[in-house]
Amino acid sequence: MRYKILTVDDSKTVRIIVKKAFRTFDCDIIEASNGVEGLAGAAKERPDVILLDVTMPVMDGVEMLTKLKADPALRSIPVIMLTAEGGRDSVIKIARIGVRDYIVKPFREEVLVDKVGRVIDLKPLSENPLKAKSILDSATILVVEDKPAIVQQIQDGLKHTPWKIHGVATINESVDFCTRNQPDVVLVSLSLPDDAAFTLFGLICTNVRTKYTPVFGLVVKTEIQAQQQAQQIGFTSIVTKPLDIPDLEAKISKAMNLDTSQRYFTTDQDVFVLKMPEIASQSSVNEMLTYLKPKMAEAVDAGICKVILDLHELKRLDVIAIKALLQALQLCRELGLQHVLVGNPQIASESQGFEDTKSWTFANSLEEAKASLARTSPSFSAQPAAAGA
Amino acid sequence: MPTIDGISDMVIRTTMTHAIQEVMRTMLNQSADFHSEIDARKPGDTASETAGSQVVGTVGFIGDIDGLIYLYLDTEFAEEAAAHLLGLTDEELEQVGDEAINDAIGELTNMTVGTFKNQLCDRGYHCKLTIPSILRGSNFSIEPTSSVTRRTYHFEVGRHRIITDLLMKIDR
Repeated sequence: MRYKILTVDDSKTVRIIVKKAFRTFDCDIIEASNGVEGLAGAAKERPDVILLDVTMPVMDGVEMLTKLKADPALRSIPVIMLTAEGGRDSVIKIARIGVRDYIVKPFREEVLVDKVGRVIDLKPLSENPLKAKSILDSATILVVEDKPAIVQQIQDGLKHTPWKIHGVATINESVDFCTRNQPDVVLVSLSLPDDAAFTLFGLICTNVRTKYTPVFGLVVKTEIQAQQQAQQIGFTSIVTKPLDIPDLEAKISKAMNLDTSQRYFTTDQDVFVLKMPEIASQSSVNEMLTYLKPKMAEAVDAGICKVILDLHELKRLDVIAIKALLQALQLCRELGLQHVLVGNPQIASESQGFEDTKSWTFANSLEEAKASLARTSPSFSAQPAAAGA
Repeated sequence: MPTIDGISDMVIRTTMTHAIQEVMRTMLNQSADFHSEIDARKPGDTASETAGSQVVGTVGFIGDIDGLIYLYLDTEFAEEAAAHLLGLTDEELEQVGDEAINDAIGELTNMTVGTFKNQLCDRGYHCKLTIPSILRGSNFSIEPTSSVTRRTYHFEVGRHRIITDLLMKIDR
């Protein structure tokens, strides 16, 4: 359910500033230009919060507030005054009628969002809620770390991704960064002086713009106490040093709920390609298998009936990789898909060492595989007798 | 009831300076510097400061003390300020027209006068704001009746200037 915010102000400029302030949040802004329109809007729309000016023509904000509070159906709607009337006595008088908060103009948009965020649970609006972000989309990763070498390792390790890695050394710099940008993930060193990581975590969690941002703690593997403390207060995940970059990348992808299927599955004209990663770790294979059935079904649904299992980047054919490939081959057979394996000399050689794979034959390149598929019967494949074991 | 005699020239000047600086910093992200006081008894001085095409916002305050503040912005600054406030490009601002600029300058004036009079309220001079209005034109002057005290200040905001013209009733 989208929250509704009613802004009652005779100045169109203020109403536009209010809309601008909340444009990145999942809420609707309803406008009224005086107290009469405001009461009508409140009765019709039942907003979750009202932003109310005082000096307006037709009916001013004080009269509207008094009438609102006298109406049993509307009195529970929280009201935040947003007005240039800020003398001490005026504020006290209006506060006594019953307001949740009071903002005196001039005001900053961040203050407005912060105050409204204390009344309703504002959620950031994703750019396109119908489409999950993928690993091909850009993202902003903030690294709060006073050791430049660690920041450099992360930047180097993730340079193949479209993510922008920003390194800052202090809590003040990170707060400054977060006011100007909205990071998708924050990595903060738990060894910053004066427990700064935990202070920053608190600030991130209480700021309406960043409260849903995943926060990772960066810590040396042996610092168990700091890890436990971070987990207890709700850090999204812990990343240990020395850094395991593939693991970090997987954690960031998971925290951002990214669609990572493009790492393993592509469609090349009328051919569905499954690409094994360079190292078939248990976590990467699990990730790949999560997408296997739905992606292959999607391809078949789109009229594709040719599959290439691309192992040419795979460095080692071990049990983990073999199990995953056997599942993929089984699925190909169940769906009646033509399939071809692409390998390299190392993989071809290693495949001879396993009962399940010794009958596999490999094309040397995607082009060779495609040419083979173009013929009725592919010459490079995993024969049923061997693959079915 | 306190009288206007209790407000010194220095208090008026610092109160106005604070109001202008607060509004410029918060709403336009710009710093404002007090430049000079204009001798309003010499019409020529005010006229030379406000020469050229102007957008002038006006908001009054009524209560224990009554007064009116005019905020003079040259048209170029008014357009820049409106574009900033509304988050519009120059082309978009051109499309929305003068009405949007008038409303934006009216609101800037409302905020400035509000900040000015709220400080007076906290000194015991209770008063309320009136609804903003806008004047547009070139080479015009505003002449008050004799029963007002008048203070006119020149502020520098980047490469632009703002003139504030305060008129307060002195006999109640």
